[in-house]
Amino acid sequence: MNKHCATIAICLAIAMPAVAAENHGGDVVYTKPVKSVLFSHKLHVEEKGLSCDMCHARTFDMQALKAQENADFTMKSLVEGKYCGACHNGTMAFASNTRCAACHTGVKGGGPPRGGKH
Amino acid sequence: MKQSKHDLGSTKNEGMENVPMEERRQFLKMGLAITGIFAGGTIFSAVSVIDRVFASSEEFTAQYPYKPHYGMILFQNRCVDCERCVAACAETNHVPHEGYRTRILMKEMPDAVGLKREFIPVLCNHCNVPQCTRVCPTKATYKDPVNGIVMMDTSKCIGCLTCQEGCPYNARYFDEHRQAVDKCNFCFDTRLSKGEKLTACAAACPASCRVFGDLSDKGSDLYKAIHQLERPVWVLRPEAGTKPSVFYTKDTSAVAFK
Repeated sequence: MNKHCATIAICLAIAMPAVAAENHGGDVVYTKPVKSVLFSHKLHVEEKGLSCDMCHARTFDMQALKAQENADFTMKSLVEGKYCGACHNGTMAFASNTRCAACHTGVKGGGPPRGGKH
Repeated sequence: MKQSKHDLGSTKNEGMENVPMEERRQFLKMGLAITGIFAGGTIFSAVSVIDRVFASSEEFTAQYPYKPHYGMILFQNRCVDCERCVAACAETNHVPHEGYRTRILMKEMPDAVGLKREFIPVLCNHCNVPQCTRVCPTKATYKDPVNGIVMMDTSKCIGCLTCQEGCPYNARYFDEHRQAVDKCNFCFDTRLSKGEKLTACAAACPASCRVFGDLSDKGSDLYKAIHQLERPVWVLRPEAGTKPSVFYTKDTSAVAFK
């Protein structure tokens, strides 16, 4: 019994800081207009060091997946500088009309967008 | 993937000297220039062909044996595995969920520099030297003499699955509902013969990944995409010597969205 309690305590001790550290939205999987695009907050916030305001001030609502309800949430819009295209314009980040499979994970899922650790 | 029931390692290469004269003539008529340069043809010497390509472009294009010679080129970098093509194909051609006429393969290289994933759409290559038709004991599968599509006559199919073994592209499945082997026929019965210009997959693709058309039509986008030297064009498994009508390429320029 004691052993079990100790195990649980250790698990909690390990898990708690990890939960606390994730102060972003995690993975967001878009399924419209095509399946599927994986947006990783971990990659953009933790690894690239972007602040919340950079996207959530104007470009994206805080509510996940709200953008994909809009009729203009298309690749054409992105290339014109809307949504992801605000940064993915070839200057700040790779352009929206290149490297398709970097973000598109397809119907099968395919894992994190750039194949890194997750 | 299918498992071969035979010990392929113990089979012997038939060798060129055993290719009958009739087949040799067929190959020659078919345009070695094209297959030598653009499709990695391996049966005859590719070296002498290179000279001929540049020596005479008229000759180079006059050798497609079918009219129209249906074919497809796939811009591999544009595919995002949305599988609209797979869904459109299944709906158009009544493909059961356990079967397929086209599929999307995924290649992942976690350690690659930059892009780490790519998708590869595959379908029947409508080979000009098809192995499946060669091994079919009942001639249920055959190369259409007019348009070059590798067709299935389901009424003749006895379900022996020899064609599946023969196909280097794993493009055939046994359809329980049809009680016959089924495969891509470029939507000939469902679309092309009804006046449509595109296959269901090409029409459904949102990224212009699949360009379908007539290889023998110099004005077609398909022709232009293949007969150029600025971008590499290849076929799958050229070592099989099947001379496919389905080509692959990648364009490095940005994708244009409509």
